[in-house]
Amino acid sequence: MVRVWDLPTRLFHWALALAFAGDWLTRDASRLDFHEFLGYAIGGLVLFRLAWGWLGTRWARFSSFPLSAAAAWRYFRGMLGRGRDRHVGHNPAGSWAIYMLLTLAALQVVTGVVALGAEQHLGPLAGVPSFALGDAAHAAHRILAYAMLAVVGVHVGGVLVGTFLERENLVGSMLTGRKHAPASDGVPARGGVAGVMIALLAVSAFAWFAGGRADARMQRAIAALALPRDPRWQSECSGCHLAYHPSLLPARSWQRLFSGQHQHFGEDLDLADEAVRQLEDYAVRNAADTRPSPVAWRIARSVDTGSAPLRISETAYWRARHERLDPALFKSVHASDCGACHRDADSASFSALAIRVPEGPPPARGSK
Amino acid sequence: MTPLARGLLATAVLVLGSVRPAAAAPVDDLLHRYQSQGAGPFSAAAGEKFWDTPHVDAASGEPRKCALCHSTNLSATGKHAVTGKAIKPLAPSANPERLSDASKVEKWLERNCKWTLGRSCTPQEKGDVLVMIRSR
Repeated sequence: MVRVWDLPTRLFHWALALAFAGDWLTRDASRLDFHEFLGYAIGGLVLFRLAWGWLGTRWARFSSFPLSAAAAWRYFRGMLGRGRDRHVGHNPAGSWAIYMLLTLAALQVVTGVVALGAEQHLGPLAGVPSFALGDAAHAAHRILAYAMLAVVGVHVGGVLVGTFLERENLVGSMLTGRKHAPASDGVPARGGVAGVMIALLAVSAFAWFAGGRADARMQRAIAALALPRDPRWQSECSGCHLAYHPSLLPARSWQRLFSGQHQHFGEDLDLADEAVRQLEDYAVRNAADTRPSPVAWRIARSVDTGSAPLRISETAYWRARHERLDPALFKSVHASDCGACHRDADSASFSALAIRVPEGPPPARGSK
Repeated sequence: MTPLARGLLATAVLVLGSVRPAAAAPVDDLLHRYQSQGAGPFSAAAGEKFWDTPHVDAASGEPRKCALCHSTNLSATGKHAVTGKAIKPLAPSANPERLSDASKVEKWLERNCKWTLGRSCTPQEKGDVLVMIRSR
């Protein structure tokens, strides 16, 4: 047995596999902090692999596994026939999986960073991309995740088939680095480079997750997304419920709501005309249609122009965002109580980092 | 006015302002208004009874009463029957802000009577309830 995979290449492989698995498992918005960190880790790993494709040992170099449709075709045909080539490094089919995974991983980092900057005001592009661009990037991010999962599936399937056909434990070789090969094909371990990689990953993880850092990131995201509030609106609306920010419904909803102020969800608000005029003016100027925030932008787009919902929970966007939650949650938490899960409900920033869904029955809010 | 005189005046205003029973005055004003409308005398016991007496809502068929949201312990935090929002204690001893603003008191009496009883409260009912709340 001869070492054909140096240590940095193996470390890259398993770190990427773990990071991708972790990112898949944290794709839900409520685990964004982990998801974001793992995304940056993938970005770093891809950059490393590109450099290692030039600087690495023999079988890790791109020159040893060129991207060739003809070679892959010959490999597949060879699989069916008897005269099979043995490949010390990557076989021509495996090469395709590697280049595709590297490309997809890089695209995932880019689309993720664009979506994050537009929707959450986080990351290197915080606040830079338009909401529309962020939305498109987010859609691409979702589709590419499935594409990547599919390529991973093909890659794992190919490894299993290759293991059988080449009579070589390919999974084991990616762990130990060793394959059956002539001694002249052997490569050095490059343990020092691997040590630097581990140190970098450990330092980044510490810098990201160390005490208080996550909370500071959440506070920054809330501050960046927070919308201006009106004292009159706050005092008038917060008597019975959260003073929902006007950005959460379109202007026509607020107009309908104020014209129906004498039957406000079973209450007669009985506001003076002057108060109604002022409140409605503020609401219309800051309504979802003015698109002051990513959430407002999405709500405005999700409501048919012909309808004017009076409840935020009637908008298509709200429903889509909450449909995967356990229905039992809304038996213990009233849907009107945004603050039960969204720590930043008051500021209407609705940062993904500020979501804390209560586990089990929440403590009684208020008491007899 | 010299700075000294201005300082003395400001101190006098502050001292007088804090000596004056700030929480009682708005309620007294309201009670006088209800009396001028023919109500009175007011009784905390009647207010207490009214507080916990249910009224069936015509539309929903549910019994409603003041204590539904505010509970019978006015020093405790209440809970809005529809939204579940916490309601700060009504007793001035537990929450000094209560009964300090006559227009606020009138606004909430009007709104909450309509929801609970399906009509505005009479001056007598309002006076009884205010006397009861003030005593807590």
